[in-house]
Amino acid sequence: MPQINIVTKRERFKLIFFFSIIILAFVGLSSMPRVSIPLLLGYVIFLIVYPAVPTLEKLGINRTGSIWIVFSSLIFFSIYPFVKIVPTVTAEIENVQYYLPKIEKYVTKKYEETRIEVREKTSFEIGDKYFFQALDWVRKTSTNILLNVPKILASFLEWVFFIPLIIFFLLKDGKSFKRGILRLTPNSIFERFYFLSHQFNKKLGDYIFAKFVEASIVGITITSGLLILNVRFALLFGLLAAVTNIIPYVGPVVGFIPALLFSLAEYGSGTTLGAIIILYVVANAIDIAIVFPILVSKVVDLHPLTVVVSVILGSQWLGMIGMVISIPFAAALKLIAQEVYKEIYQE
Amino acid sequence: MSYEEEINKNIQENKKLPEKLEISVLRYFWQSNPLIGKTKDSIPRFLRNIDVLNNFSENELRILAKFLHLRKFQPGEVIFKQGDLGVGFYLLYSGYADIIVESNEEDENGRLDSKHILTLEKSDYFGELALLQEISIRNASAVSRQGCELLGLFKPDIEELINHHPVIAAKLLQSVSLIVANRLFSLTREVQELKYKLSALEKEQDAAD
Repeated sequence: MPQINIVTKRERFKLIFFFSIIILAFVGLSSMPRVSIPLLLGYVIFLIVYPAVPTLEKLGINRTGSIWIVFSSLIFFSIYPFVKIVPTVTAEIENVQYYLPKIEKYVTKKYEETRIEVREKTSFEIGDKYFFQALDWVRKTSTNILLNVPKILASFLEWVFFIPLIIFFLLKDGKSFKRGILRLTPNSIFERFYFLSHQFNKKLGDYIFAKFVEASIVGITITSGLLILNVRFALLFGLLAAVTNIIPYVGPVVGFIPALLFSLAEYGSGTTLGAIIILYVVANAIDIAIVFPILVSKVVDLHPLTVVVSVILGSQWLGMIGMVISIPFAAALKLIAQEVYKEIYQE
Repeated sequence: MSYEEEINKNIQENKKLPEKLEISVLRYFWQSNPLIGKTKDSIPRFLRNIDVLNNFSENELRILAKFLHLRKFQPGEVIFKQGDLGVGFYLLYSGYADIIVESNEEDENGRLDSKHILTLEKSDYFGELALLQEISIRNASAVSRQGCELLGLFKPDIEELINHHPVIAAKLLQSVSLIVANRLFSLTREVQELKYKLSALEKEQDAAD
């Protein structure tokens, strides 16, 4: 009878070596955010642009040619936003600081009015300790962000050179890099590892592509709406709505608050405010009713609570990028957990 | 038989090679010659000899070879286990592999009884159902005998082939379907024969009664 030797000594050594490399890579990357953040960002952009490569290949262009076309168009189409939008956004962010005292004054005044009204009607005195604490926090945070704009821009400049390099090499050598990792994978886990990592990459790619399209639709709708309404900082609010849209459930609300406060302070509670509210509601309704069910929900199948918890954990770990990757990451973890569950309980 | 064929046969049969080939320095320089892509050239050449791939052109075989994963297995090492989720189809590049079926009955030691079905040799293939089924459970175990080298093709590779080289993917799936169809045909014939034997036995029993 042939002897079935499940895990040989050599195989055990290979398994230990393989998992040590993976753990070391994770620890190394998470302890070096200056490298890992542009790497992750490069990877995210790579996942967005990569589907264009096979499409071009199908048109008869060879792989190297397709990669060069995709990369050159990416650079070409990013130059315009960099040259045009970045200075505008920076100038607008700097202009915001002149509007901040106005908004603060408006919020304080409104709070004071509400306090007096509540006292007159119910003779209950609302404490203002928490209000001023919150106001102070908002003031400090926004000043902090404004003061950090040059610093963010400096790291942005570093990224401008670093990220295209990462994208180019991922496009060019991603395949051989993947094969290198697969060559190291021990036989006993090869099939499962290959299949799961492929599913993970696919989920991440599909999710990021879907989210990118979704955020762009929301951003463009809001920017054009605000431009039509002739609202100041239309581009900034549109960009903010697009970026916060990435965060599920709370994102759209967070993206709306600054625009709401600004329009209340600047235009008062008139028709402009009504129009802005309608615009945000319509943009988010389009997102929730049309874009999300078609694009995103097909990719991730998670409980809303899992989504919220993973976003919080992601933001704590890697900030904004953590928020973006937390959901596909959670979806992938679910996939792995299901596999492990099957392995343990199905025998 | 040419000298090369003779040496290849000796290697396959694990026989001792002539001494002049055991000169390690000479072998080192021969193998490190950058113009000799050992696996790069030999995999398409190997694929050429597989009958179900005869609808592929030379260039298509070269492209297909880039998607295959060369995996080395130690003697007695499990390639996959019965009941595992399978995602790959394997071609035997060198060595031998045993196909073993474990029955649900336990022997006197409380271990599952396993039965050796067949031994596969160079150019044989197995696990093709994993490429076609959505969830494929391996219905036998495969174990390397005296060590073997396999060329594996997995579901993600098929997806990539469909995206990048749809013609090659179509030809490959045609070949895999051919393998499955051939197996199904022989199975149907076997079932027919068994049915015939069974009815003959029943008739005999009826006559005896």
